[in-house]
Amino acid sequence: MLRQLRRIVVLVLASGLACALLVSYAPGTAVDERELDRRLNEASIREIRSNKASAADILSNLRRYIVGLAKGDLGYSESNHASIAALIADRAPETLREIAIGLTGGWLLGLALAIPKRGFSILAGLLLSLPIALIAYLCLAAGAKSFLVLVIVLTPRIYRFARNLITQANNALHVEMARARGVTETRILFSHVLPSISPQLLALAAASASMAIGAAIPIEAICDVPGLGKLAWNAAMARDLPLLVNLTMLVAIATTVATAVSEIRHD
Amino acid sequence: MLVVFTALIPARYERQFRDSPNASPSKQFPLGTDDLGRDRLSRLVYGTRVSLLLATASAILSCIAAAALGGLAGYGIADKLILASADLFLSLPWMFLLLMVRAFLPLNVSPLLSVTITFLLLGALGWAGPARVIRAAVRKLSNSDFMLQARATGSSRLLRRHLIPNVMPILWAQLWITIPAYVLAETTLGMLGLGVMEPLPSWGNLLRELEGGGIAGHPWLLAPVLLLAAVVGSFQVIFEREEYSV
Repeated sequence: MLRQLRRIVVLVLASGLACALLVSYAPGTAVDERELDRRLNEASIREIRSNKASAADILSNLRRYIVGLAKGDLGYSESNHASIAALIADRAPETLREIAIGLTGGWLLGLALAIPKRGFSILAGLLLSLPIALIAYLCLAAGAKSFLVLVIVLTPRIYRFARNLITQANNALHVEMARARGVTETRILFSHVLPSISPQLLALAAASASMAIGAAIPIEAICDVPGLGKLAWNAAMARDLPLLVNLTMLVAIATTVATAVSEIRHD
Repeated sequence: MLVVFTALIPARYERQFRDSPNASPSKQFPLGTDDLGRDRLSRLVYGTRVSLLLATASAILSCIAAAALGGLAGYGIADKLILASADLFLSLPWMFLLLMVRAFLPLNVSPLLSVTITFLLLGALGWAGPARVIRAAVRKLSNSDFMLQARATGSSRLLRRHLIPNVMPILWAQLWITIPAYVLAETTLGMLGLGVMEPLPSWGNLLRELEGGGIAGHPWLLAPVLLLAAVVGSFQVIFEREEYSV
């Protein structure tokens, strides 16, 4: 448990540091669009440049960030002119709602379609052959909500994995024996099949959470949803270092915690 | 087939027919023209070539990196460092990582440079998953009975005669999985304006035409979707057959 926790902390810090390094060396990081404002005098522009230059020192920024984090201060987003904590608090509910509905819908549909013998393999194969951005475009054109896109993206992935597991479990010797003894299919499913594949399903739950977080960016960018995915997208385009580092670390926490939970349960 | 096709198509992908912008499908332009008067069929054929070559080249690059790093880690060389790096790459969702890193790179670049950037990006970010699989396979093979026997007989060609031939099927499977994943990733990048740059066509930037929401009256805009679904679906079928045959 302690080892897992240490691993999560190290991974989250490393991903934040890697993100900071990437942004610092990204083209356009040292430039501020306010420099083009003709109303600003030489001194103001010099001030903006010196602020930008100080932001380039990654290690001192990281130290300042950790000190601020201990006080609950996540920093300030220049591109949104707002504190990062307030921005995340404002945008997170939308993304969390979208991911929660997407995951619930995806799991319910995926499992419901995987259980019957005649599945929807062809449709699942077709949906898996389309990029997330295209599914988002098509849903947007059809007037569907963003969470529905996530359901459509996640369902075939969950379906395919769950169906393979259920088919394997259905062919197990003890299941064949139960069937021969006249146990009903419903009872076989709930007493023998689902319990035997629960560790793999839990691992899939962690993977699907990661998939949902990853899919949220293109979906929110295309459907113009004011969530964390859209915020991350805009921050990347504006080279907003503090905001990006925070969002990357947040995503890393969510993904690694989900993976760790499934590993602990599996152990 | 597509290479042969390029000789038969009416025009090069960048040629503009200025008298017929936004033309509907006709004998001259089977899929119509775009708003700059470029033949959509020509662009689709060239775009298919770009997307498929790009995805395959990137998949080969990441599989080579995965084989090298996974092989080293499996043999116990820099194992912890390689595993930690793979964990770091896998701690972020693939799509998040891809979009963020691409957004940090130069956006206003020449078409050829955009192809190179996309190729290197996909190749460099996709090694972690396959590397873990290769590492596990190498580790298992290194401890297997036949390797022990080969080592005991003093065989000097352990790597070339015993290990690599047994790891190759796993590497091929990884390549089959990776190519369609990269085709889809390139399409998503292209649709968000971060993939191959105009005027060079790719499935991603061809599908940007859907952005205007004009699918209802223009079903031929979905031609790249059909091709994309057919290609990625075929890879899935091939992979499933390989999996069952093993």
